[in-house]
Amino acid sequence: MTELEQAAAFLFREARHLDMHEWDAWVAMYRKDAVYWLPAWRDEYQTTTDPQTEVSMIFHNTRLGLEERIARIESRKSITALPLPRTLHQIGNVELRAASPAQIETEATFAVHVYDPRTAKEHTRFGRYQHVISREQETWLIAKKKIILVNDKVPAVLDFYSI
Amino acid sequence: MNLPIRHRGNLHEIAALVDDRPAEHIFQIDRRVFVDPQVYEAEIRHIFEATWVFVGLESQIPKPHDFLTTHIGRHPVLLSRDQDNKISCLLNTCRHRGTLVCPFKSGNRKLHVCRYHAWSYDSAGRNVAIPERATGQYPDGFDHENHDLIHVARLGSYRGFIFASLSADVPALDDFLGEAKAFLDLVIDQSPTGQLEVVPGEISYTFDANWKLQFENGLDYYHFGATHASYVDILKKRASLATSEAGFSKEAASEGEGQGSFSFDHGHAVNWSIKQTTLYGRPLASDPQLLQAARSRVGPDRVKWMLRQRNLTIFPNLQVIDISSAQLRTWRPLAANKTEMVSHCLAPVGEPAAARALRIRNYEDFFNPTGLASSDDNVMYEFCQSGYEAEQAGYTQGYLRGAAGAGIGTGRHAKELGVSPAESAFGAVSFGGETNFYAGYREWRRLIERAAAKAI
Repeated sequence: MTELEQAAAFLFREARHLDMHEWDAWVAMYRKDAVYWLPAWRDEYQTTTDPQTEVSMIFHNTRLGLEERIARIESRKSITALPLPRTLHQIGNVELRAASPAQIETEATFAVHVYDPRTAKEHTRFGRYQHVISREQETWLIAKKKIILVNDKVPAVLDFYSI
Repeated sequence: MNLPIRHRGNLHEIAALVDDRPAEHIFQIDRRVFVDPQVYEAEIRHIFEATWVFVGLESQIPKPHDFLTTHIGRHPVLLSRDQDNKISCLLNTCRHRGTLVCPFKSGNRKLHVCRYHAWSYDSAGRNVAIPERATGQYPDGFDHENHDLIHVARLGSYRGFIFASLSADVPALDDFLGEAKAFLDLVIDQSPTGQLEVVPGEISYTFDANWKLQFENGLDYYHFGATHASYVDILKKRASLATSEAGFSKEAASEGEGQGSFSFDHGHAVNWSIKQTTLYGRPLASDPQLLQAARSRVGPDRVKWMLRQRNLTIFPNLQVIDISSAQLRTWRPLAANKTEMVSHCLAPVGEPAAARALRIRNYEDFFNPTGLASSDDNVMYEFCQSGYEAEQAGYTQGYLRGAAGAGIGTGRHAKELGVSPAESAFGAVSFGGETNFYAGYREWRRLIERAAAKAI
């Protein structure tokens, strides 16, 4: 496989883990100090750029933030996951933006189809992924994932599985 | 001629859907109030488009020619600061053909040019250009007509909070806000300059449920433990791991725990709690210098209240939630069963960087459809909306916690803040009174009844 093919396969695997509710396998793809960032929009054209002075929709600078989110929906105590929406991630336009022995950077587009089995309502979230993936011996781990959500007016709830 | 009479009949009938009999401890809301499109129409016309509503902060348009756009009920409006720093609230519709003049959320423009035929307006809403006017063969009367953007009937501001009304038949803003101002002050005075700002990054979302579910939820302390059980678990775990210690504060042992509320005239209310152990920290308490400066500025009693959970509702469309962070949230009903929310992280101007970063993280943690708590509320509203379709189930029993004990034991608390609320309630931390919803519903009924009386 070329490096690009490897990168695409990695992104597809992340998407599959989310759609299959394989949360442990999903979060294991992240470094402990991973940054997971979904900026808010400042205006019609620009997202926020500095999480320390501007609002994000989600900003975690350790994997713990993702683990808390998993524990919350697994607890059967959050109505947002009772029942949990079904999702289908579609990833395209995967590009290798940078590659070094230590890490690679990818850019890709996504569309996540979200279906609520309770109400039969469905919606699609779409945008761009920017991954920084560090090569740790044989395995690759996500050091940073930035998600630009194009359609940011959210119907009621948005969590890590629907982007 | 039948239609207006039927409309009046409807309004009397709609007003009666709020069954409020204080002497009998009866307060109940007919489910139609949440599901009936006719009620929604009446609310838009006779509440949202007929009383003061919050439209923005002065600090959102700080410089000459800054503007933002929003809605008052169905009306699109343009809030614009002119050359002389005077703020206008204008109907965002071209005088020529009705086009939306300003399609942007916010920005800075000396001129707002309608894209359809280029009629142009300055930042005070004055018409400055009607292209090809000379060759327009306009009738004589045209020159005598005013072509400016239309100002809303009333516009006012309290310490940077801007309110507007499409009806002139409203009390002075100061009287409308009344003693609820004391609770806006508790947020505003956390700033050394007495000014608030929104942190950049607006979040907007919808839920498929009636707006009054949000109105009630903002005053509902009772739901917290059940609805937010998964979030409480996270907070407890964080506390045990001591992963977040910043901003935790302690009440003096003499304070006595409890949960209470104050209700004010014109539909406003606030609920609050006093807890010895909090599960989250606050930006104000995270910085000893900041806290000390606040104490010398406003005194220890008011700082004590600044560090307490306070959920303030300014009827009909604003809630200011001051907990681990501060949220400024407004709503716009889109249908009986659909509501649009706009949320901002509210912050004191001049806040140190570390306290600001904590405020932002705490805001993201709790609020919005992406947070760990508000998302549960949003889905819960949709469950309520579905449940309200069960018309045969009759009245709910959701307005009675505290109905037998209104006014107990809050004199001391009110006195500390120098307020004398229309009603107050107080109980154990687990109390979660529901009587603080009454003020809003009474104002709701008053406004619908007023419209019924006016209908021809």
